[in-house]
Amino acid sequence: MARYAMIIDLDRCTGCRACMEACKVENNTPQTNFWMYVFRFEEGEYPNTRVWFMPRPCMHCDNAPCVKVCPVGARYKRPDGLVATDFDRCIGCRYCEVACPYGVNYFNWKRPERNQYLDWMDAEAAAVLAPYTTGAVPPYRNPDLDRAYGPERRRIAGGGHLKGVIEKCTFCVHRVERGLPPACVANCPLFALHFGDLDDPNSKVSLLLRRRSHFRLLEEAGTEPRVYYLGGKPPGSDTRQIETIRARV
Amino acid sequence: MRTTLASVTALAGLVFAATSFALALPLRIPGVAVFAVASAESGGVIPYLPAVFILGIMLMFLAAVVYELLPDRSQTPPRPPAGFGRRA
Amino acid sequence: MAMRLEPLPYRVGQFSSGTLSLVVVLLAVIAQGLYAFSYQLTEGLVVTGMRDVGTMSGSTWGLYIVFDIYFVGVSFAGISTAALVRLLNLHHLRPVSRMAEVLTIIALILAAFSVLPDLGQPLRGIVHLLKYARPQSPFFGTFTMVIAGYLFASLVYFFLDGRRDAMICAARPGRLQRFYRLWAAGYRDTPGEQERHRRVSFWLSLAILPMLVIAHSTLGFVFGLQVGRPGWFSALQAPAFVILAGVSGVGLLIIIAAVVRTALQAQDRLTPEVFRWLANFLMVLTAAYIYFMLVDWLTMTYAAPLHESRIAGALLFGPYARIYWPSVAALVAAFYLLLRQFLTGRYRIGVAVLCGALVNAAAVGKRLLIVVPSQTHGAMLPYPTGAYSPTWVEYSVIGGLIALGTLLYILFSKAFPILELPEPGQEVVRR
Repeated sequence: MARYAMIIDLDRCTGCRACMEACKVENNTPQTNFWMYVFRFEEGEYPNTRVWFMPRPCMHCDNAPCVKVCPVGARYKRPDGLVATDFDRCIGCRYCEVACPYGVNYFNWKRPERNQYLDWMDAEAAAVLAPYTTGAVPPYRNPDLDRAYGPERRRIAGGGHLKGVIEKCTFCVHRVERGLPPACVANCPLFALHFGDLDDPNSKVSLLLRRRSHFRLLEEAGTEPRVYYLGGKPPGSDTRQIETIRARV
Repeated sequence: MRTTLASVTALAGLVFAATSFALALPLRIPGVAVFAVASAESGGVIPYLPAVFILGIMLMFLAAVVYELLPDRSQTPPRPPAGFGRRA
Repeated sequence: MAMRLEPLPYRVGQFSSGTLSLVVVLLAVIAQGLYAFSYQLTEGLVVTGMRDVGTMSGSTWGLYIVFDIYFVGVSFAGISTAALVRLLNLHHLRPVSRMAEVLTIIALILAAFSVLPDLGQPLRGIVHLLKYARPQSPFFGTFTMVIAGYLFASLVYFFLDGRRDAMICAARPGRLQRFYRLWAAGYRDTPGEQERHRRVSFWLSLAILPMLVIAHSTLGFVFGLQVGRPGWFSALQAPAFVILAGVSGVGLLIIIAAVVRTALQAQDRLTPEVFRWLANFLMVLTAAYIYFMLVDWLTMTYAAPLHESRIAGALLFGPYARIYWPSVAALVAAFYLLLRQFLTGRYRIGVAVLCGALVNAAAVGKRLLIVVPSQTHGAMLPYPTGAYSPTWVEYSVIGGLIALGTLLYILFSKAFPILELPEPGQEVVRR
């Protein structure tokens, strides 16, 4: 059985947020749901500031607090390490969201069809945009997201399925089960993200962990995350975001 | 007779509650056939265990009702106490 | 010859114009609550003020959860008072027993109805909780022990305790005679039955008390076991929930007893002695809760880690100070008034009622301060601090629930004597 992990090279990340966009397109997440989010940090006082960037997917923790607290077992840990959310089981209590120290959970507050960047139902909008999209016709719905995955056959892929359920980064389970890396990893222009099997001593992730010093976020919380950061340092008490995002839905 | 029935109810409740709770815990004892019910479809759990648990707890408290409500074997019907009746 | 039926005691079956007007107002508030809830069902929870923690800088649990834990807290008083009356033979408190039991039952119903609007998928929630609830989750305890176990146990206790009065009411023909007969279930008030009931009530009370502690502790564990939420992760949560439950519940019971006393002219049954005992009970519980608050305050200000100290700052000096300090002041003021009563021996029902109101206002404030600041100001990664402001939908639903509880209470008191009918030989002053 594979033991998947993600590695994020903070020395390479420039905060371009291509991974955020790729994740959105691949997983059809509604507005304000940033399964992959990239922090843009600043430390120090101007002009002596240091600016750095930190992508933050779901950590897919081995000791995940979200899995422990889910009252109905919608959030569960797969043997390959992915922490998945069964959107057929989820009752929308948001306990996983309050339990997560990393803030990676996103709730579908609105009806998803009212919360997309493009109106999925609007043929007119699609017709207007068609000349600009070189043949690819929006609205684009990834057909892989409605299928069941894993030997457990549960529907765990993609976002924006129905209102009132929680969703989060799935490590693109619908791609991983086909042997493809997650969308963020595949689309990073600087190869700052890596994904692979820790049980394979020759995989990229195993090699990188052996060669370079690394850390994980909030290790003191005991969550045992599966996302490792190379280079850089964890955010400290003086680390602040450059822009205060306040995503509004 | 009343005591027996009440005890049976309470015991049944306890058995329901304890069994369903034990089955709901994430312990998989190999060879126990009942876990076959926990199919992949329900995500590896036996469905409706919480309902049985609640039923068990309710039964335990219903035993009190059984004990109080069932009549004595020997009961002399007394006259009803002077209460609020008709007043001409 | 025309028969004139003697009216049932305690205004059972009698609706004054005042009561009717109140019922109409309550129905209107409930209707508004239902409208708000149906709006929320169609549009989703976006119509509330709750938002994601983290990038959305909101609070994902808000007023619904605050009032859920408040209602469960209030339910404490009812059944614990009734149980203590039985276990400690506090005969002079018998008159408040039924009021207390009804309070518990209605409060638990309201608590259950308070969680449902908070779920993104309420219907699914009911089915899936019954089908798939996991004991590993603290919600399992809340759902099974509180709503099913505790509520059912209180109903059983209440049913058995009311049989005698039901029998008395059933002796008189009337619209509800069949209902009374059903409730009495063949009760004859023989000495044998009385003795049996005394025994059963004793053991039932004994069984309910641990369930009560489990229920309130589980609710505390929902918060206290979350390592990812600074401010929540604390061993104090479970015991503090039990104590604050007692404080708010006994306070509300005092208020209800005073209202019943005035509305039903029951000064002979609800004597100042009753209020003295309840006031002293409230004083002890308030003292215990103030102790918990002091311990909590000292811990979070002395050498708290980074995230806890941020939350402490928000509570003591930041945006939540305007809720924190008044809540603390209300609790301390209530304790002072109750203590003064106790030390001087000069008890007044009005003081007890005022303290009941103060501690309940403080309890709602404290519940809010437990639930919200750890979400808006307790992020462990450098997200911006958040804010939470309930919307009209949340206020309407909560208002509707409170109105529903009040209405149920009034309707019950019109269908069944809210005070236990006195022993034969004692007179009931009939109006």
